[in-house]
Amino acid sequence: MSVIAPKFRLGYFLKAIFDNAFWILTLVTLAGIPAIQIALFLMPLPVIDGELLTAFLAFTWLFNPTMQIPLIKALLYSDLFRIAAFPGFGFAALIAAGTIFVERKMLAKLQLRVGPFYCGKIEGILQLAGDGLKLISKEIIIPAKADKPLFWAAPVLFVGTAAAFVALIPVAPGGWVVADLDVGLLAVFAVIGFFPIITILSAWSANSKFPFIGGIRALHQMVSFEIPLILSLLGVVILTGTLNLSEIVESQSNFPWIIFMPIGAIVFFTTMLAELERIPFDLPEAESEIVAGWLTEFSGMMYGLVQLGSYLKLYAFAALFVIIFLGGWTGPVFWPPLDAELITEGVPIPNYVGDPILTVATPGLPLFDKDPNEWVQQQQGELMYTSGQLLISGVIWFVLKTVGVIFFILLPRGVFPRIRLDMLLHIGWYKLIGLAFVNIFIALGLVYAGVIGPGGIL
Amino acid sequence: MTEQVIPTKQMPPGLQVENVDDRIMTLNVGPQHPGSGHMRIIVKIDGDYIVDADPDPGYVHRGEEKMAESRNYITNIPHLERPVIHDSCNILYPYVLGVEDLVGIEVPERAKYVRVITAELNRCIYIQYWLAIYGIFLGHSTMFMWPAGDRELLIDLMEKVTGARVTHAYFIPGGVRNDVPANFEDVCLRQVNYFEKRIKEYADIFYDNPILKARTEDTGVLSREDAIRLGTTGSVLRASGVDYDVRIKEPYDVYDELDVHTNVLKSGDSYARSKIPWLDMLESCNIIRQALEKMPKSGSIRTKLKPNPKGGEDEVYRRVESGRGSAGCHIISKSKPEPYRLKLSVSSFRNLIALPYLLKGEKLGNMPAVYWSLNYWPVEADR
Amino acid sequence: MGTATGIIKALNSGIKHLAVKRFTLRYPEQKLKFVGDGYQFDPASGVAIAGNKGRHMLFHDHCTGCNLCSIACEGVAEAIAMVKVPDTWGHNKKSIMPQIDYGKCVFCGLCVDACPFYALYMSNDYELSSFTKEGLIYTPAQLQVKPQVQQDSELIIDKRGARHG
Repeated sequence: MSVIAPKFRLGYFLKAIFDNAFWILTLVTLAGIPAIQIALFLMPLPVIDGELLTAFLAFTWLFNPTMQIPLIKALLYSDLFRIAAFPGFGFAALIAAGTIFVERKMLAKLQLRVGPFYCGKIEGILQLAGDGLKLISKEIIIPAKADKPLFWAAPVLFVGTAAAFVALIPVAPGGWVVADLDVGLLAVFAVIGFFPIITILSAWSANSKFPFIGGIRALHQMVSFEIPLILSLLGVVILTGTLNLSEIVESQSNFPWIIFMPIGAIVFFTTMLAELERIPFDLPEAESEIVAGWLTEFSGMMYGLVQLGSYLKLYAFAALFVIIFLGGWTGPVFWPPLDAELITEGVPIPNYVGDPILTVATPGLPLFDKDPNEWVQQQQGELMYTSGQLLISGVIWFVLKTVGVIFFILLPRGVFPRIRLDMLLHIGWYKLIGLAFVNIFIALGLVYAGVIGPGGIL
Repeated sequence: MTEQVIPTKQMPPGLQVENVDDRIMTLNVGPQHPGSGHMRIIVKIDGDYIVDADPDPGYVHRGEEKMAESRNYITNIPHLERPVIHDSCNILYPYVLGVEDLVGIEVPERAKYVRVITAELNRCIYIQYWLAIYGIFLGHSTMFMWPAGDRELLIDLMEKVTGARVTHAYFIPGGVRNDVPANFEDVCLRQVNYFEKRIKEYADIFYDNPILKARTEDTGVLSREDAIRLGTTGSVLRASGVDYDVRIKEPYDVYDELDVHTNVLKSGDSYARSKIPWLDMLESCNIIRQALEKMPKSGSIRTKLKPNPKGGEDEVYRRVESGRGSAGCHIISKSKPEPYRLKLSVSSFRNLIALPYLLKGEKLGNMPAVYWSLNYWPVEADR
Repeated sequence: MGTATGIIKALNSGIKHLAVKRFTLRYPEQKLKFVGDGYQFDPASGVAIAGNKGRHMLFHDHCTGCNLCSIACEGVAEAIAMVKVPDTWGHNKKSIMPQIDYGKCVFCGLCVDACPFYALYMSNDYELSSFTKEGLIYTPAQLQVKPQVQQDSELIIDKRGARHG
């Protein structure tokens, strides 16, 4: 803002409040209420306990103690919750936001400085909210000769593809994944193949020299690192024999695959850094040579969307690394197991004279309990874990491992300079493909020696 | 190639017709660019290779030399230090030595030592800033923050001595303006020792970094004969194998009593040019420690000047080794309090000659590395 | 393999520095302490006394209105103008004193060097911003006031690194 703030006048302030209130009320009544009614009319309503759940019934049940828990459980297992909140967009966006903040603070500590510390009382916690507000309030400038439909569509496509990638990642035991595909890994490769197209389209549509150079470089980089990416993961596919990501995690219940495929892990890590355009591979946005590469002409919230997509991709790649090499959600369970009887039969609760009249399902985590006859709990003799316990423990291990991998992705940013285009192509086409093939030969050797895999020793 | 384009309309005077080739793209690495400093380089590229580079300095020209003709020798001091604000002692040094020769006064011993100490501190301050920008041009953000932060240790020392963090205006013909504060020797020694420890850390993360080496080795190679022929100076010359340092060849003040070594590397590529200033900084720390020991414990630090000092019908040229190379000052005086003509001969402008020669045939990705490794300070080149 | 050891050493150096203390001075909460009282000049010996070159301080009981500071600044920044002051002093017959425009002053200190009467010093105060250009012109009465500064941080170097505390 280049104007000095004018002096405060009560009339203007009241007028501003009135204007805002007027527009909010108008939009809500004219557009919001019809939208809600149309949505309620067209949305498929779930059936709970044999009754069709309309909106009125939902509100009534919310205050009925016996029906609250089934209502919330039904909503938790619905598709919308999966896409928007838990293994989908909300969870990923939360981790992405945390990643941005941790990246800034960790790089600052590495560089012996403080990073954000004004916004928010404790060491700048609200900096991200401040940045988001700033980006929303900025004007979006489109170059005059740019290709307008493509230019507007590019950031949205980017976020959309990143979200599609996030949708394929299983987060917790029990099928907590947005899109449960049998060929999950192949779908991941297909989605990753979209990113170069979006990058080159957004660079070309900006119709300017620096985005053009940046886009060409991004195309070279992403295309030349896709092949080592795919090859390095094929080693694990050979060992497990399945492309389904949930099953790959299940097969690592005793040991993670990184013990047998260290070269594959290193190759995948390097190509992951290149696909994410992180330093040392951030040529497409090389600041000192081509201003900001293919992001030069984006301003305001378009830039914000591209950054969001970029960090969602970071979370998704790190999660993929964890799933394939580090064992996903497997790990020792945090809580102590309970008596098997408590879980299968329930806890009898006596009334005030001592007669048992009520049996309650497993204490502690009723929300996450599916019907115990459907879901086989993990049993160890007389003790058992509920599915709820396994779920929360799995999520915590998954998050811890992902955060660990993200730390190692963020670290090279402080330590390495940017590499040059010809060095990048040399590494991508010669060295990494060679190492990936070595990895595949090791995997084949292990399978044919009968060590791992179907019919193996381990 | 393309044919000559014949303009159909009458061209306005002063405009040139440039043939545009199908393959060659003209990029304007201009003043509003994160990778250029205050200068413009017009680069013609063919794919990824640079075909022609045309540096265009002059954006920061402020007419320092012309302004110096209307100010007397003392009021010239805050002006002439502005070309390089953090290396101000080294820019003023040849001027002050020249005026002392013209007016004919002797500088006391303690003042000479204090001058040498502040000049070496300023050299380290400048080299740290240059290294910071070199790091960020290559995309290494830590190498921007660490030198910029460690530089604060030395700026703090300069602030204790002269009162200002940059543009110190500390030297004056006849000595220095004020004496060092009371316990300066201990504070200086402690901070310089810690500073030396910090800059030795740069080896692991920057100079031995395999990505940096692969990026800067064998790029922009300046052979020994070319370096001498093009007239380069300072760290560019020493990185091509020529052992020339003004502090040793033409010693001024007390440099002949101190033990100064030069660092020479033979390869002449960008890596050598980026390493020599770092080695120079380690050498400066030694010089500062020696000077602190040998400094006379008391004594005057300024010879009193007559009011309105003036020289006779004389001209003088003095030369000094600044952070970038040899900086010189040529003063012609005609018995007046103002100099008749003052020329600053700066090393940045002389090293710039090598830039179009080195960039031809280079890849575009090497441009920032080669350009900034010539130890170029745009403001100084334009004066 | 040379590259592998180089990469691991660089990463190692990076991780080691996560344990070094931060160097930043958190400005509004911490302000650096300066040595001494400000830049001063002793006309008897012709040598100045080391100190921070901040806002000037004018001593009304020494200033004779001799104009030398203004003449010294003419060649540098033309920031000093002599203005009439309302009070009369025995040693200041013309009742004029310097007024300094901090929009133009470059804080070089040549005016302090020029004053032969111990009347113009510089102090530690550097926070001189204002919302208007006229607010930057300090009259002799404003220059008389000793600045209130609260500067108490300094640079500490110890085993865990250097920091401002």
